[in-house]
Amino acid sequence: MTAFNNISIRNKLVLMQVFTSALVLGIFATFYIITEIQNYKNRKAKDVQSIAAVVAQNSASSLQFQDNQAAQATLAELHAVSPDVVYSAILDQDHHVFASVGRAGSDTALFREYRNSVGAFFSAGTLIVVRTISNNTDKIGSIYLQVRLNELARMRSYLFRLAMVLSGIAVLAAFLISFVLQTYISSRLLALVRTMRRVGDTGDYTLTLADEGTDEISVLISVFNSLLLQIRENERRKDEFIGVASHELKTPLTNVKGYLEILRSMEERNPQRQLVDRAFLNAGKLEKLIEDLLDVTKIQTGQMQLNLTEFDFDELVSETIASAQMLSKDRPIVFEAKAARQVRADRQRIEQVLANLLSNAVKYSTDGKPIVVTAVATGGDIIVEVADQGEGVPAGEENAIFGRFYRAKGVSQHISGFGLGLYICRDIIQRHRGRIWVRNREDGASFLFQLPIAGPDFKQQHSSTKSSM
Amino acid sequence: MKKLVAYAIIIVALLTGFGIPAAAQGEDLETNLKAAFLYNFTKYIDWQLGPDDAQFVIGVVGMSEVERALEQIARTSTVNGRRIVVRHIDRLEEIGGCQLLFIARDRRAGLREILSKVNRGEIAVAEENGAAREGAGFNFVLAGEKLKFEANMRALSSSGLKVSSQLLKLAIIVKK
Repeated sequence: MTAFNNISIRNKLVLMQVFTSALVLGIFATFYIITEIQNYKNRKAKDVQSIAAVVAQNSASSLQFQDNQAAQATLAELHAVSPDVVYSAILDQDHHVFASVGRAGSDTALFREYRNSVGAFFSAGTLIVVRTISNNTDKIGSIYLQVRLNELARMRSYLFRLAMVLSGIAVLAAFLISFVLQTYISSRLLALVRTMRRVGDTGDYTLTLADEGTDEISVLISVFNSLLLQIRENERRKDEFIGVASHELKTPLTNVKGYLEILRSMEERNPQRQLVDRAFLNAGKLEKLIEDLLDVTKIQTGQMQLNLTEFDFDELVSETIASAQMLSKDRPIVFEAKAARQVRADRQRIEQVLANLLSNAVKYSTDGKPIVVTAVATGGDIIVEVADQGEGVPAGEENAIFGRFYRAKGVSQHISGFGLGLYICRDIIQRHRGRIWVRNREDGASFLFQLPIAGPDFKQQHSSTKSSM
Repeated sequence: MKKLVAYAIIIVALLTGFGIPAAAQGEDLETNLKAAFLYNFTKYIDWQLGPDDAQFVIGVVGMSEVERALEQIARTSTVNGRRIVVRHIDRLEEIGGCQLLFIARDRRAGLREILSKVNRGEIAVAEENGAAREGAGFNFVLAGEKLKFEANMRALSSSGLKVSSQLLKLAIIVKK
C-alpha cells in the first residue's frame, strides 16, 4: 500500500510536469503555426500585390489604346513567370473582361465574387488580388489575379510536423527531467515511510531521519522526529513510573505477605485458615505481577542479568510443572519427552519462562484437556514445547504477542494480566542466545523455545542469526 | 454643372470605351477614337515643357471631324496640368508652335511639305496608309476592325522627345 501510494505520487509529479509542458508547448506551437501562416499569407499577398502593380503599370497603355492583344501578352508573360497564378484578367472601367489568361483550376465563382472589389483576399487555399489600374489619377480599369497557394498546405503540414516533433522531444525531455527530479521528492517520502514502518514494527523509537532542507517534506520529517522524541520521552517517563511504582508497591506487599505467613502458621482453625490461605495466595499473585513490572523495568534499563549455573533440565521442568499443577487441578499437565541433559543457564529465569508458558497454557486451555510439555535435545540445543489445546494465536499476531503489554484481541476480557509475560520470556531466552516462537496446530497452540545447552557464551554465531527473528 | 458632368462621362466613356470594333460603329466612332488616342499619346511622351509653356497646343492641319472631338476633350482635360488648345492650321507658315500636329486625310498630297515644317519638340500624327513611312511620327491605321497606329522611330527620335516604351510596345514600328 505504501509502495502504491509512492508510485502514484511519483506518477502524479511526472504527469503534472509533462502535462504542464505539453500545454505550454501546445499553446506556443499553435501560436507559432498561426503566426507563421499569417506571415506567409501577408508575404504572399504583398508579393502578388506588387506583381499586380507591375502588371497594372504595364497594361495601362494597352487599356488606353484598346490593345487587348498586348494586354493578353502581358498576362501570358506573367503566367509564364509565376506558375502559381491560376487565372488573371484585366478588367475595364465597367468591370468587363478586357483580357484574360486562365488555366484549369480558375474558379469563376471566385471571380464573380471578387471582380468588383479591391485588395487581397484569401479563400480556401486561394489568394485573390484585385488592383486598380490608373493613369495618373484616372481609374481606367483593374487587374484581377487568382493565385493558388500550393505552398500553404505544404507549409502547414511542415510546420505541424515540426511542431509535433519539437513538442514530442520537449515533452520527452520534460518527462525525463521530472522523472529524475521527482525521485528527490519521492525518495525522501519513501525513506520517511520506511522509517515509520520500522518504528511501527519494532517499537524502536530511537530511529530518526536525517534531512537537510526547509521544504514541506523536511518539515514532515522533522515533525516525525519530534513526535518520536515525544514518544521516547513518554516511554521513559512511563518506564520510570512503572519502576518507581512497582518498587514502592513491592515493599509494603512483602510486609503484608510476611505477616500473612506468620498468621497462617498461627491459625489452625477453619474457615480462618482458609481465608488466610486465600489472602496469601492473592498476595503471591500480586507479588508476581509486581515482579513482572520490575523485570520489565530491568529489561528496559538494561539491568537484567543472568546468573548462570549448571543444572538438570528435566528436574527443573518437573518442578515447574508441579507448582503450576498446584494452581490448576482440572487441567492436567503432562511431561512427555525428556531431554536428560545438564544445561548451563540461569535456572531461576528459565523456570520463570516455563512457569509463564504453563500459566498461559492453563489460562487459554479448555477444562480437562491436557497440556503437553516436551523437551528434546538436538545438537547443542534443547527445544522445549508447551502445547495447549486452546483457541490458538490469531493469524498474523505470532510476533506481536511477544510485545510489551500485548493482549490477545477478543480474549482479553476474561483473562487477567498485564500482557508482560511473553515479553519477559522472549527477553530471557534471547539473553540466553536462544529463541522463542509460537506455532498454531489444528487443536491448539504450541509455544516453543530453543536454548543452547552449553550456555549463551558458547553460541555466539548460531544464535545471533536466530534471535533476530 | 450637370452638363459638364454629363460631358465628362461621355468623354471618359469614349476614352476608354473598349471592346467595340471601330469600323463597326462607323465614321463617328473612329473620329472620336482618334481624338482619344491623340490625347492619350500626350500621356506617354515627355514633352519637356518649360515654365513658359502655359498651354499645350494641338494643331490640326486640314479639315477633319477629329478637330471637333479634340475640342471637346480640351474642354475637360489637361496635359501635365496645362490647358489644351486646339489650333486649326490652313497655311504651312502656321505650323510652328504646336506640340502635337494632326494631319488630316485631305492633306495627304502635301504631306512631305507639311512634315518638313515640323520642328524639334513637335510630333506629327497622320491618318493615311504609308504616312509613317514618309516621316510622320505616328500614323493611324486600321488593322482588321481595330484602330492601331504606326510609329516611325527615326521621326520620333529626331523630334528629340522621349516616347514611353509602354506606348511603343503597342505601336506597329516602321523603320525608315
